[in-house]
Amino acid sequence: MNLWLRNNAWRHALVIFVCLFSLFPLYLVVISSFNSTGSLRLDSFIPREFSFANYKMLFTDPTIPYMTWVKNSLIIAGATAVLSVTIGSASAFAFSRLYFKGRKTGIQLLLLVQMFPAILAISAVYVIMERVYTFAPSIGLGTQAGLLLIYLGGAMGVNIWLLKGFVDSIPKELDEAAKIDGASAVQTYWLIFMPLAAPVLAVVALLSFIGTFNEFILARLFLVDMEARTVAVGFQQFIGGPYSDNWGPFVAGSIIASVPIVAIFLSLQKYIVNGLTAGSVKG
Amino acid sequence: MTSFFTGKVSFAIKLVVVLLVSAVLLTLTQSAFAQKEYFIAGFLAITIFLLILTYLSKISIPLKFFLPGILLLVAFVLSPILYTVTMSTYNYKTGNIVSQGEAIEQVKNRGFEPDANGTSFDIKIGRYEMQEAILVSDTINKAYFISTVNNRIPLNAADLTINEYSVAESAPDFETLSDADMAKADELYSLKRFKYQDEYFIALEGFEVGVVSRQVLEFDEAKDQFKNVITGDIYVNNGRGNYAIAGSPDKYLEPGWRAPIWFENYTKLFTDKRLRGPLVSVFIWTVTFATLSVLTTFALGLILALALNKPIRGRRFYRSILILPYAMPSIMSILIWGGMFNTEFGAINNLLGTQIAWFQSALFAKFAIILVNLWLGFPYFYLISSGALQAIPSELLEAAAIDGANPRQIFRRITMPLLLQILSPLLIASFAFNFNNFNLIYLLTGGGPRAELDGELAGATDILISFTYKIAFGNSIQDLGLASAISLVIFVLVASISMYGLRKSKVLESFE
Repeated sequence: MNLWLRNNAWRHALVIFVCLFSLFPLYLVVISSFNSTGSLRLDSFIPREFSFANYKMLFTDPTIPYMTWVKNSLIIAGATAVLSVTIGSASAFAFSRLYFKGRKTGIQLLLLVQMFPAILAISAVYVIMERVYTFAPSIGLGTQAGLLLIYLGGAMGVNIWLLKGFVDSIPKELDEAAKIDGASAVQTYWLIFMPLAAPVLAVVALLSFIGTFNEFILARLFLVDMEARTVAVGFQQFIGGPYSDNWGPFVAGSIIASVPIVAIFLSLQKYIVNGLTAGSVKG
Repeated sequence: MTSFFTGKVSFAIKLVVVLLVSAVLLTLTQSAFAQKEYFIAGFLAITIFLLILTYLSKISIPLKFFLPGILLLVAFVLSPILYTVTMSTYNYKTGNIVSQGEAIEQVKNRGFEPDANGTSFDIKIGRYEMQEAILVSDTINKAYFISTVNNRIPLNAADLTINEYSVAESAPDFETLSDADMAKADELYSLKRFKYQDEYFIALEGFEVGVVSRQVLEFDEAKDQFKNVITGDIYVNNGRGNYAIAGSPDKYLEPGWRAPIWFENYTKLFTDKRLRGPLVSVFIWTVTFATLSVLTTFALGLILALALNKPIRGRRFYRSILILPYAMPSIMSILIWGGMFNTEFGAINNLLGTQIAWFQSALFAKFAIILVNLWLGFPYFYLISSGALQAIPSELLEAAAIDGANPRQIFRRITMPLLLQILSPLLIASFAFNFNNFNLIYLLTGGGPRAELDGELAGATDILISFTYKIAFGNSIQDLGLASAISLVIFVLVASISMYGLRKSKVLESFE
């Protein structure tokens, strides 16, 4: 018992303390969402009421087009994830497996470009898309299609870089064997590489999805219409007022929006952790 | 299956897709060209050419894999970067947004004044002989006429419908506008100058009143200057995007245009006192914030990883709870924390039994930011630290123990140095990320509280990137040129730090 105390008690004590720290806001959000007064006040640790008023308001109040926001976020983040991984994996394959002039320069350039935080070029993006709007109103400033294109471009650098790390770790023997059997590069890519990389592509797509879902500033500059907004922009504007009493529907909405993401994240955590480190630490 | 890639069917599909995409892009190219956006049109044209060349010929196999990615990168990352570089050398801000040609046009359009008596007439807007026209009623002299841009047609009062205020409602051959046309009328009529007499014309003031006016500012193209014909003032091109009176630079004509000023936006960062003060404070806080963020999140993450580096009971359970903050969409978490720090309605003051106005005091606001970032960031370092701890060969630790080292010595001399070596690139990456952690600052404190520093733009918790955002998209003056210059300075800083980190991790060597 004494030994146990010395060796393990401090571990449990510390970890439980940090667990409380990490759970506190989440617990608060859950109890607030069932509290009809609509504030993030902590009146007692034990919930006093169990009301669905906030959830109901979220789906019925015409001033909160919550479902539209969620739909927009799903479409934009989903399309960004799928398209950027599809396009990015082709480039990553070429960087990792094909030999051509300028490959090294290409990789170094990519490294530099992916370091440029998209937010720094935000005024330029804004002005350019303002100009695009003058001749193509359907993809210019203020449109979801335009925002998607910018996300795609922005995701490209990081995704190619991440995916290249994964492709490098797939044994070369496999595609060399395919080559000996007479497969072209395109065939190797579709028939050998894609099936092998599928789980990895799924993880990068998920990271890309979460990243886009959390993206706020471009979305805010771009999506002015209430109906076109994403969840992030919609909610920020919604609770932005100084004496806002909109917390009730907000916490309810953030729970609904977060639960699926948290669930997927937890179930894939092993792969995600590998993915996070693969880009920068090479084995 | 393999035949699918070589068969005629697949070629036909490919052909159709490539041609369809090209057709769409071609339409875009044409409209871009029509709008005189030559750069964009040129880029689109090259895109079409490359698409067809790459996918319908066998010129290069790697290019088939690359092209879509490269095109997206060039279009939405590289060109904005280059555009940022260009903008940073321009006087490009509110009041200096348009091109010089447009600015001259606008100065001319605005450069008129009412005549000495301030004569004005009641008018109806409409069309006459297929042209925009106004039906003018001089109610004092009971004179009526129709005026177009080039002609003035006198009317006989007997032919008109005149209301009780002596204003003509309609005239033969003059068609008043339908409601639908009225909606678009502003664009068509507001800038028109309807004929009156000599140098005087009638300018519209709303849709019911016309004011007799004359052009006052005249442009002299040869000398590149404006002259006020009444006062005789001469406004010369000051080389910085405005026509101004020589010797008194504050007297200039609106609007100006975007003009190249080379490195002035950069030198301003060091010489302009109103900018330098806030910039220095913001920079110090940015570095402090990024450093503290990395240190706190890494420290907590590492301690947890060490505590859970033994198979103690409930480890998996703890692990799932500890990474919850990381799994939550960060944007939601930040907004929730923002609510929790609310003075009256927030849980933090509830819990502590205090009445602290967290975001009104610089010190408390900074503390709140670090605390929230700790909550958001420690699970990441916990995860990668546990991974790194497992990557340290156990033989090393055992050998040290056999040599008589105590646990503390083993940790300080072996575990920690190895950990730092493995994790340093990630620590540097985290520093670079926090250096530009816009969302946290913007959504939590909005950079506030203000008035601690220069009340205009920078708040006490603004980091460089949120400060830049306010310069570019703030409420008062939006200075895109200056914002671009600061953006590039940030990029150089962050890229150097990241490059240093990558060199340490030896990523670059792998393809040298």
